[in-house]
Amino acid sequence: MASNTSSMRDDGLRRPWGAIVAFLLPALTIYVAFTAYPVVRTLWNSAHKVLPRREVFVGLENYAALAQDEIFWRSVRNTITWASISPLAEVSVALILALALYAKVPGARFFRIAWFTPVLMSYIVVGILWVWIYNFDWGPVNAALRAIGLGGLAKAWLGNPNTALPSLIVVTTWMWIGFNMVVLLAALHSLPREVIEAAELDNCGWGQKLVYVILPLIWPTVLNLIVLSFIGKMKIFDLVWITTKGGPLWSTETVSTYVYKRAFEWSTFDLGYPSTIAAIWFVIVLAIVLTLTLALRQRSKLEY
Amino acid sequence: MFRFVAILVAAAFVAAGSAQAQPTKELTLWTHWAAEQIKRQYVEEAIADFEKKNPGIKIKASWYEKNALYAALKTALRAGQAPDIFYAEPDQAEYYENSFLLDLSSLNWANIEPWAKQAWSYKGKPYGLPLEAWTVELYYNKKLMSDLGINVPQNLQLSGDAFLDMVKKAKAKGIVPMSLGSGDRPFTGAHLTHEALLQKLGLDDYGKLLTGKLQWTDPRVVDTLKWVRSLVDAGLLPTTFTSLKLGEAHIYFHTKPGALTFLNGSWYTSRAFNAPDQGGQPVGFPLGIMKFPAVPGAACAECRSIAVGGSYVINAETKHAKEAVAFLNTFATPEMGNKWLDRVMVQTGIKSDSSKISGPNAEYFKMLEASNRGAKYYFGIPIQVMQGKPKEVFTQVINMAFPAGTIDVDGVVKQMGTAY
Repeated sequence: MASNTSSMRDDGLRRPWGAIVAFLLPALTIYVAFTAYPVVRTLWNSAHKVLPRREVFVGLENYAALAQDEIFWRSVRNTITWASISPLAEVSVALILALALYAKVPGARFFRIAWFTPVLMSYIVVGILWVWIYNFDWGPVNAALRAIGLGGLAKAWLGNPNTALPSLIVVTTWMWIGFNMVVLLAALHSLPREVIEAAELDNCGWGQKLVYVILPLIWPTVLNLIVLSFIGKMKIFDLVWITTKGGPLWSTETVSTYVYKRAFEWSTFDLGYPSTIAAIWFVIVLAIVLTLTLALRQRSKLEY
Repeated sequence: MFRFVAILVAAAFVAAGSAQAQPTKELTLWTHWAAEQIKRQYVEEAIADFEKKNPGIKIKASWYEKNALYAALKTALRAGQAPDIFYAEPDQAEYYENSFLLDLSSLNWANIEPWAKQAWSYKGKPYGLPLEAWTVELYYNKKLMSDLGINVPQNLQLSGDAFLDMVKKAKAKGIVPMSLGSGDRPFTGAHLTHEALLQKLGLDDYGKLLTGKLQWTDPRVVDTLKWVRSLVDAGLLPTTFTSLKLGEAHIYFHTKPGALTFLNGSWYTSRAFNAPDQGGQPVGFPLGIMKFPAVPGAACAECRSIAVGGSYVINAETKHAKEAVAFLNTFATPEMGNKWLDRVMVQTGIKSDSSKISGPNAEYFKMLEASNRGAKYYFGIPIQVMQGKPKEVFTQVINMAFPAGTIDVDGVVKQMGTAY
């Protein structure tokens, strides 16, 4: 009996359930209320026609309709294109800028602030700014083209289905380069001095040092930035809404803008179909991110 | 002294008691027109007048821009937190289909135009007070037109060829022939095509086209699209068409850089007749109104669109239905109809008499009347008739890409053909 009590006391010391529950409950409540429940509810909605004050079970009807929805697949293509190109462009340019600052180019202090500034602005401000920049008549892009005798190339960049998406990719790249640059600069500054010095003692040139020493050491940071940027672009909404609303001819339609249109602009209160889009998109994004993470982690392990 | 004080205290209690017996009822109103001063003033005066005549009732108005209002209402209605009265337009079928609107059969319909009531009727019951009605008008700058040597004929309607010639003459002089933009509205850029289609097909077949009962491959439709495309190719529209917002298109026409014509709803006045420093047209601006050009081979050259626009509806869940209907009834009088015409200078669904308009706006109304003389109306614009995918495709194709010249006639026919 005595040993039994002692064992229970030991168990209580090893697993203080009261404390565990007390510490977990607030975070768990928030997680369930704001993450788990919305996800489950979205899945539930996707099998229903969700109208105010009533829900009608429709089974897989929404999923079948979505499979035939050309606008949805167009928006998927646009979003994946954006999410594939943007991270590579952002991180590549940011790396060049970070290396320039690391090498202490003249005016480095000024450039660090100037290059970082765009990320401090909201997509709304950035969108308005770039609508002006891309203006056909007096926007700086076309003005510059005309000034160097290439006026024939001037066009309504956001009004042309062929140039609208690339133009918006340029905007997000411009906006996020600064953030990537600062993170990479921090990674560069944290490189172990002895490794760099050892490479210099071995007569490594700048190029060799970059390719064989610096890049492998900051590779995990680069991968994280690519994955973060990818996830961000898979959710992009604000910039498109401000500049093109998905047009012209759905050339800049993203999954997020399409969900919003279906939920709030298609003269219907039904939340079932938009939930189906969200559910499918959640699965696609999760699958891509998991694949990307596994593949890149595997490779980085091989690198080391 | 004590008795006097006692009487005073008793009187105060009685007064307080009577005030408590008649508590003030506050009705909430969410409405568009935050930036349209003339309409806002008209509504605010109606509110003040109603409150004066009904001392126990207050109307608390919140002013929005249209898109923000629609987004707020979608959430508020679903959550059961919508205002008692709100702004709506007849194309918002989702409101009455989901029983969000109060049946307004008790409104004073004798003072409202039957066609305007029809626009708001669903399953035999009316749901909205049709305050604003509008036609698609072709405004023009009389001086620029005269400088180009173009005479607007007596019947105010150029032929299709003469209109194309006008476009070419304007372009040759470096003048943008028509201000039009689709930057922030799903219908403004479409006026050009749908007015042409309406003329070419006539009322019945045009209705069939919009509802998917007539194919977009119909030769008359294809011919009309080709005619519109010839205007676009001749440089009819601003190069900034796809990004030009509605408010900017007004300024583009009358101030900077100045265009020859402007195809717009007759609510042009609600922005353009503000003071110049508030985006209005310059003082003494030589404004003229002509008819949409006669489309070659038109079945009905006198056909044009008329739409019920800004209206007020009542939330079906309001606790103040009687008071809300009473408030809407303050608008449903010929006096308020005439006041709307005089102040706002846009047509209205309330019965009114434009011959009673005098003063500085009388001339404008004469022009508007002349432009509409002999017209046969199609009630509603396409996005009020279409719903769902056809509406989305129409918005992307006819409102934006086709006038911008980024999709050809075959592309339009294919896209619209698969939309239904």
